[in-house]
Amino acid sequence: MNALPCTIYVSFLGAVLALVAGMRSPGTARWVALLSALLAWGIALSAAVNFVPGPGLETIVNHPWIPSMGIRYHLAVDGISLTLIILTGIAATAGILFSWNIEERAGEFFALFLALIGGVYGVFLSADAFTLFVFYEIAIVPKYFLIAIWGSTNREYGAMKLVLYSFAGSALVLAGLLWAYAAAGAHSFGLHDLATAATHFSHSQQLGMFALVFLGFAVLAGMFPFHTWAPTGHVAAPTAASMLLAGVVMKLGAYGCLRVAMTIFPTGLAFWQPTIACLAIIGIIYAGLVALVQDDFKFVIGYSSVSHMGFVLLGLAAANAQAVSGAVLQMFSHGVVAGLLFAVVGRMVYERTHTRQLADLRAMPLHRLLPFAAAVFVVAGLASMGMPGFSGFPAELTILIGTWKTSPLWATFAAAGVLVAAAFTLRVIQVSFFGSASIADGRKAAPAHPLPPITLAEKAGALVLVASTVLIGLKPDLLLDWINPALQSPLFQAVLKGGKP
Amino acid sequence: MDAHPYAFLALFAAIAVAFPVILLSVAQLWFRFFQPAKPSADKGAAYECGVTPTGDSWIQFKAHYYLYAILFLIFDVELLFLLPFAVAFTGLSAGALATMLVFIFLLAEGLVWAWHRGHLEWK
Amino acid sequence: MNLDYAGLFHALRPETSLVVGALIILGLDLSIFRRHTPVERLNLALWIGALAVLAAAAHVWFAPEGPVFGGVLILDKLAMATRLGVLGLTLLTFGVASAAPAPRNPAEQVAIILFATTGFLLMAAAQQLLLAFLALELASLSLYVLAGFDKTRPESAEAALKYFLFGGMAAAFLLFGFSLIYGLTGSIELPQIAGQLFHVTLSPLLVVALVMVLVAFGFKAAAAPFHLWAPDVYEGAPTSSAALIASASKLAGFTLFARLFWREFGAVAGSVSSAHGEPGWLPAVAVIAAVSMLIGNFGALAQSNVRRLLAYSAIAHAGNLLLGVIAAGDAGPAPFYYYAATYGLATVGAFGVIAVAERAGPCQKITDLAGLHRRSPLLAGCLAVFVLSLAGIPPLAGFFGKFTVFSAALQMGGLAGPAGWLAMLAIALSALALYYYLVILKQALVAKPAPDAAPIAVPAIAKLALVLAAGLIVLFGVNPSLLLGLF
Repeated sequence: MNALPCTIYVSFLGAVLALVAGMRSPGTARWVALLSALLAWGIALSAAVNFVPGPGLETIVNHPWIPSMGIRYHLAVDGISLTLIILTGIAATAGILFSWNIEERAGEFFALFLALIGGVYGVFLSADAFTLFVFYEIAIVPKYFLIAIWGSTNREYGAMKLVLYSFAGSALVLAGLLWAYAAAGAHSFGLHDLATAATHFSHSQQLGMFALVFLGFAVLAGMFPFHTWAPTGHVAAPTAASMLLAGVVMKLGAYGCLRVAMTIFPTGLAFWQPTIACLAIIGIIYAGLVALVQDDFKFVIGYSSVSHMGFVLLGLAAANAQAVSGAVLQMFSHGVVAGLLFAVVGRMVYERTHTRQLADLRAMPLHRLLPFAAAVFVVAGLASMGMPGFSGFPAELTILIGTWKTSPLWATFAAAGVLVAAAFTLRVIQVSFFGSASIADGRKAAPAHPLPPITLAEKAGALVLVASTVLIGLKPDLLLDWINPALQSPLFQAVLKGGKP
Repeated sequence: MDAHPYAFLALFAAIAVAFPVILLSVAQLWFRFFQPAKPSADKGAAYECGVTPTGDSWIQFKAHYYLYAILFLIFDVELLFLLPFAVAFTGLSAGALATMLVFIFLLAEGLVWAWHRGHLEWK
Repeated sequence: MNLDYAGLFHALRPETSLVVGALIILGLDLSIFRRHTPVERLNLALWIGALAVLAAAAHVWFAPEGPVFGGVLILDKLAMATRLGVLGLTLLTFGVASAAPAPRNPAEQVAIILFATTGFLLMAAAQQLLLAFLALELASLSLYVLAGFDKTRPESAEAALKYFLFGGMAAAFLLFGFSLIYGLTGSIELPQIAGQLFHVTLSPLLVVALVMVLVAFGFKAAAAPFHLWAPDVYEGAPTSSAALIASASKLAGFTLFARLFWREFGAVAGSVSSAHGEPGWLPAVAVIAAVSMLIGNFGALAQSNVRRLLAYSAIAHAGNLLLGVIAAGDAGPAPFYYYAATYGLATVGAFGVIAVAERAGPCQKITDLAGLHRRSPLLAGCLAVFVLSLAGIPPLAGFFGKFTVFSAALQMGGLAGPAGWLAMLAIALSALALYYYLVILKQALVAKPAPDAAPIAVPAIAKLALVLAAGLIVLFGVNPSLLLGLF
């Protein structure tokens, strides 16, 4: 168990090594990055094997950091964070495999990539709000450079928009946390201490602090109407970065909402619950409808991410044991599935056909040109729609059942969102991969020479992701057995009881 | 009734404003009613001690003398501090003497520097 | 009056080291090294200057605490921390100066930097109005000369003139304010003044005095609405001078400001921690801080010149620092000291990068930095550290500086009073600020170099200084207790 903090250190060390290795050759940097990511993932998996699920955070490291302000370097883990740590390992490894073709400034690419990953591991492991915030911000800045340097369409705009949204969100979080810290007498930033102190705050203070912190994190989780950074950012980003953005970084926001905003200010949640649920449902349906009419393949996936993150937020807002555990499961599921979708679109298809316009792709018989990509995309699409057998099914089902217990109305609207998701997913599968060459009316016709074959690295990455979604789809208890005990901790019980002790 | 302790300030301010205003308006009135307008070249010329000016008033002249002025200032300031020091000398401690020596040393050093850099030569 | 001259000489050993170092530099330059090239003379002067600074730092470190010379100077923890910070920043400024092209009078430049530093050291410890004023003017006069040191460029002369006129005006205000205070209390010693003012309510004359002093410090600190000189000076002054003006001078100035206002006018501070604040100087400082943050951040958004951008960012940071001074009454000087010291590090570093980049061509516009990552990866990396620290990204020191200042301000009463709202404003504006900082980094790290841009060779000393500054920023950011532990 004690090895988990090494995931952070291995990632940061790997970032430095990749930077140095990149000065020699891109190939060395790639291998250094892959080995670091694999090592970190291996550490996480071996920790998971020995993990004994239980209520409450299990402290791993806890020593004073800035004693004069009561800030501690406190790392701890429970079933929820472990789930997301495993997801981070998967996404990082797959992301590196899908960026195997990066030649330009490869060392810097992998260094930034691993620095981002290190920050993400840090957020999931932190049990001190200050530590969490520091890691959270460390994960923001590399995104700008990943997108602005190696991105595609409108990359500098997309990168700046994404980073400013994220940073504005984190400014809200900082404001809320500092307010709570000061109001609590400036003794400690420990999540548990803050939660204890928050019970003595006035009602209006709790509402205000919750609103600041939750909104700040929810911006990164893609909550409507603060989601617009997500599609542009995803589209502009290079494949690996979109995989990380959708797969892991948006989860940072949702995780922050759950771990920080909700557990510290359960009273605030009780007040804002309907608002959040309403925004989440609007996000699910609105983003799904927008995805339905996109011309750009990647924008479809970008909006689908927003729609799926709406389910996560809805699960959190419903705030009962089933809905919250479903939300965590959906975080994992969406992390894997969105990674897969972006990998197919950005790497397998775009890098070969050099177009993402659905009208162009429709004119190419991609299912014959790229059968592997087609197969993977169909799997990913089914998982994304919530077909039984894939991870999306247990996740969305659990969320819907849980939400029904809180409010049947919300669950009904969200179920409509599932239908919309099925519609846009089927449409994009049909149009992009199973279009027919016969309707090539002056569009970019089928390429004259065969497309380059799918490389080994891509296959490996895709298999990792497909295996994960199928495994969890068939046996969701693997994760639910970790998540449910974690929800028994006093902090989460306070959330589930609507702030009443 | 006691006047406010700062009332004299207001009085001063009023006089300070009124004085120039009155003088200027008297001059303006005089000009308006008693003085015929007779402009001439001599009247418009720059005033130079009553003598008819020769040449342009916008001439360049050497600003080099300002260095001498600054160097003179060294001795000026030195005198300013040395005089009270000398008057009270018998009552002062050895530390005060050392402090004054440091002061003179720094000033002398400035002079030596200017001398070595050639700033005392009129070019 | 029994004055302890031995104690005075003992306590002034850091200043003595600096002045002796400056005199040695001038003497050697005039005698032995007269015939050498300017670069050799600059390097010699820099080495001797660095030794003098190190000697001064050693003296500061081992100096005993306590009042000196009947309380004219006070050597407390804040004085020691500020002195060490100033000396460190001066050392880094020497690194910047070594990268810039040698001026016509290299020895004089280094000597005047040392004189300015002497002024900073005295400012850090002054506890008497007269000494405070003299120290401030020693530093300011040296800085005016440094701003105009590049005689070949008219911009430099313009910068010096603007700085001098504004600064001279500020000095007049300050002296007037001080004389009013002396008239009110009959003393120029801060403890006595504080004792006198303790019984006094806010009389009109005291208000005038406070406003005068406040205006003067506003000018010196480049806080809005007294900031107008800053962009032109940063743009026109030689790079090393701009670095010194932006870093060490800020640190010493804010220490003096905080000491003066809290020790002298503590009784008439007023309050900004609740909605019905009492009148005093705190509300006025709060207004200046808010205006500085707004003008600095919004002004910086519109800049295309990297130095002017740094100047506007300095104005914004001055607003945050004023917030730290406001909070110093409750939280002590540690937050604003940490902020000022690490801000100085980042600014010196940024100017150092500009100085090195200028060796290979002009570096005024932000676009002149285009493709820096290709032209010199080391410079680009260091610039990223400095700029991100200015923006307040963890784990760099700038983040913790903001964090500690804002948290200190919020602890003054939460959101009940203006201080808390000011902290909220500052947090919101820091999100805005990231935009213009990223604009710099976009050119340096993302954009491709201009076709005719040559690679930049970084001189060894400059390399050392830049890496040292970047390393310290990371070190202080990861372990803030290193600086906070000085208190």
